[in-house]
Amino acid sequence: MRADEASLARLMAMSQKGDRHAYATLLTECQRWLQRYYSRRIAPAQLDDLVQETLMALHNKLATWDSSRPFLPWLAAIARYRWVDHLRRLYRADECELDTDFAGHDDEPAISARISIDRLLGILPDAQARAIELVKIEGLSIAEASQATGQSESLIKVNIHRGLKKLAHMVEKA
Amino acid sequence: MTHNSDVLIANLVGNLEPVKPLRFAHGFGLALAAAAVSTVLLIGLYGMRPDLQMGHVNPVHLIATGLYLGLAIAASVTVVVMSRPCVGTDHSGWTWAAAMAALLPAAGLIVGMAGGGDLLSQDSLRHGINCFMIGGAGSLLVFAMLVWWLRKGAPTAPDRAGLVAGIAAGSFGIFAFSLHCAENDIVHIGVWHSAVVLAMAGVGRAIVPSLVRW
Repeated sequence: MRADEASLARLMAMSQKGDRHAYATLLTECQRWLQRYYSRRIAPAQLDDLVQETLMALHNKLATWDSSRPFLPWLAAIARYRWVDHLRRLYRADECELDTDFAGHDDEPAISARISIDRLLGILPDAQARAIELVKIEGLSIAEASQATGQSESLIKVNIHRGLKKLAHMVEKA
Repeated sequence: MTHNSDVLIANLVGNLEPVKPLRFAHGFGLALAAAAVSTVLLIGLYGMRPDLQMGHVNPVHLIATGLYLGLAIAASVTVVVMSRPCVGTDHSGWTWAAAMAALLPAAGLIVGMAGGGDLLSQDSLRHGINCFMIGGAGSLLVFAMLVWWLRKGAPTAPDRAGLVAGIAAGSFGIFAFSLHCAENDIVHIGVWHSAVVLAMAGVGRAIVPSLVRW
């Protein structure tokens, strides 16, 4: 059974006052909610880590919820922030792990991730989408992407930077 | 993995301490208090404009000071609201105040380029830099207060929160120093006073994201 907004808000108010029993129930419910929230957004192998990171953020920022306001939009805002942060870290780390994560035994997450990425890239100008696709998804070097597209190397870098920034902004506003 | 999450939850529950929720009125009140202290300090150190002391007002000075104060209040409200995450909350109100305040540098530049102001003379530069430095220094207390509030809070867009905190601090700082600066020239106000807001916005955008901890 899923806890409703009113129950979660009540548990959160009790948790802010130091009620550990209420807090344990709240965190368990939040864990379930976060698993559902992230399950369609990231690779399954990263799901539990991100849920745990978000629970820790929730714990550290417990005071930022105001009992006069709804609970789930607060939780959703923290979850979305952690998700965007997770995406940024993935991009910054220039991870080739994407290949291993998405090309695992179960192809469905890889396919749905690819569809999501394609949809996001479709919103960007062609030059930015192409630069991101070649370097960040297909794993080409800047020089190889430059040759493949006819863009200069510095333009490839600028297009990746601007494209990723725009994507992060769109995700934040979503 | 489920086991790890259970352990984590048990640890978090074990570490639970009662917390006092962040209130909007508290955060905004602290920002206003910091602005009031800065204003009193600047006026105490440099004195108030002679015309204000005599109860007279200059229209250009009144409009400019009012626009900076309006921007400072709107941006401070936004920063305090941004410190508490909530999906669906609008954080764009300050942009209208910023758009109105942007008329000052725009007007200053237009008048300056049309030759209506003495922007590059030695005296003008010295006076402008003086306003910029002291106005910037007058921003620091509000800036520190807003950054401290953001660190207590959970801004989900730290870069934007830093930018707006800088704008709020810079606007309060130059508002406070405008009560001393006897200049009514739109070129001076538009260029040098607005420069404080822009510079503090840049500082906020550059350093606040690294100061916010989740």
